[in-house]
Amino acid sequence: MKILVVEDEKGLAESIVDYLSKEGFTCEVANTFWQADEKVSLYQYDCTIVDLTLPDGEGFGIIETLKKIAATTGIIIISARNTLEDKIKGLEIGSDDYMTKPFHLSELNARVKSLIRRRNFGGNNDMIWREITVQLQARKVFVNERETLLSRKEYDLLLYFLSNIDVALTKESIAEHLWGDHMDSADSLDMVYSHIKNLRRKILERGGKDYIQSIYGIGYKFTAS
Amino acid sequence: MKLLEKTSRIYLLASLVIYLAVGVAFYWIIKYMIYDEVETRLKVEMRDFESFIHTHDTWNNNSYFVENKIEVVPVYGAYDHSVIFKDTLIQNRYDEGIGPFRQVTFYTVIGGVPHRIAIRKSMIESYKLIEAISAAMITFLGLLMISMFLFQRRLSGKLWKPFYDTLTRIKEFDLTQKEKLQLPQSEVTEFSELDDVLKKMADKMQHDYTSLKEFTENASHEIQTPLALINARVEQFIQSKDLSENHTYWIEEIYHASRRMSRLNQGLLLLAKIENQQFTEAEDIDLTELLKNKLPDFEDIIRHKEIDVEMNLTGSFDIHMSHALADIFLNNILSNAIRHNLSKGKICLESDAGFIRISNTGHDLKADPERLFERFKKESAGSESVGLGLAIVKQICDNYGLAVAYTYHETIHSILIRPEVKEGNG
Repeated sequence: MKILVVEDEKGLAESIVDYLSKEGFTCEVANTFWQADEKVSLYQYDCTIVDLTLPDGEGFGIIETLKKIAATTGIIIISARNTLEDKIKGLEIGSDDYMTKPFHLSELNARVKSLIRRRNFGGNNDMIWREITVQLQARKVFVNERETLLSRKEYDLLLYFLSNIDVALTKESIAEHLWGDHMDSADSLDMVYSHIKNLRRKILERGGKDYIQSIYGIGYKFTAS
Repeated sequence: MKLLEKTSRIYLLASLVIYLAVGVAFYWIIKYMIYDEVETRLKVEMRDFESFIHTHDTWNNNSYFVENKIEVVPVYGAYDHSVIFKDTLIQNRYDEGIGPFRQVTFYTVIGGVPHRIAIRKSMIESYKLIEAISAAMITFLGLLMISMFLFQRRLSGKLWKPFYDTLTRIKEFDLTQKEKLQLPQSEVTEFSELDDVLKKMADKMQHDYTSLKEFTENASHEIQTPLALINARVEQFIQSKDLSENHTYWIEEIYHASRRMSRLNQGLLLLAKIENQQFTEAEDIDLTELLKNKLPDFEDIIRHKEIDVEMNLTGSFDIHMSHALADIFLNNILSNAIRHNLSKGKICLESDAGFIRISNTGHDLKADPERLFERFKKESAGSESVGLGLAIVKQICDNYGLAVAYTYHETIHSILIRPEVKEGNG
């Protein structure tokens, strides 16, 4: 899976590439509009992550070129601008997602994966990890071939974990993933805790192992080790 | 009242008073002159009569043809020598009509006997003259008044036209657009000066608006990008396996600080944008309906805190505002009511055509409720919030003519929103 990261802030581009490479993606970076324009017309990517504000142009231009050349590429906008107009414009010209800076790498990772899944399989495939199977279309979860009933938030939480295996996730990023960024309060961290407790219990009930590891002071990690 | 209407009215009233005064004065002058003339003639006749008596010492009514003209009546007893002029009505000799006469009365001795003599002159012709003159005068004055009135109306309409043109242009002027304010040239110095001043002001406003808009956009980009970098690096850092407890604590602090900074920055930029009135799009929104639709977003946390929500939404609260702002507005109020609520507490939503009230149970309030609308004012210093939520609510209210009040009574905190009552004549 090839991903192009168009971002002029070198450090940020490096972080994204580093993070996504660990997840098994092949990443390339373009720091300017023209670099990106060139790469887009030369190579084929499964997903492109585009920053809107570039020193020599607007990210929208790249999206328009991309849509002309290869309509199948998934596009995620990452921008510091959080106006509704920009979001609407981004979606109108064919981007699939819009993330406002600062964002969580784990969230970006989850969204890239979900986008590629949607693009490649139409969301029609199952996600299998050890004894856990998620039927994405039906939103059903099986542990050891036995269905376990999860609430909507528990399901989202499990999917978020499965997209970020072996990665330390902060409580804040989980809360934001589940409720969006308007839910910033100590209460939402409590809620994360109680959802994780429930999810862990439900997996254990069906004979699954306890994969959710808590990391002191930071958050959680979904891992087999 | 419109300017032209007002000047017309004043002009009409003033000219009515002046013309009336002129008319009355004119009438009295003519009347005085005619009376003066009649009285002079009566005096001449009186002298003629007296010299006749002086010569003949007798009077025969028959010596005059005209009956009612001279009346001689003997007087017995005391009399004075005064000469009196007065108006009187005498019946006409030939028909039943009564005519106005001017009469002079005096006393004289005829044949050793004192007599009172009255000499009269018909005023009928004179009155007709006065009437004719008055009628002509009223007509002419009326015509003059109407024509002057119409003239001044047209004149001031023409004179003020540049002013009205300017007014229309200013009303249509939108400072959020790039187009400059165009004003018609006027040959009147005052108006062209006014236009110049207005143009300068509009240009300045437009310039300020654009530079502030650019500033918020740039600031947003320039601040959020490094914050994104900090966030990303922290996320990478926490992936390392061998973090000591101290490291975790420090990294958590860095992470929280950068998140707070990001929220603070977003809040301040939002405030600046609202203040700069950058949310230009607007639509008719029923805030009650929107409030109802917002609640499910908070379902989880409401359930988690076991908050009891009581809804008493009777009417729709309609307002013309930006949808994005309406959303932020209700979000802030609702999350406030939840965040500062007690667990197992209560939220009460009430609304009607004239108000929306959101009340919640909560801790005792130490600060002055109204001061909570100020920036960076928060009840508990250590809390996660950055203290901009209510300031944003207040700013939105100010922009859309709403009044917001925070009241606190026996652990119940309420926020009441209603249309601002406009003072004065509006």
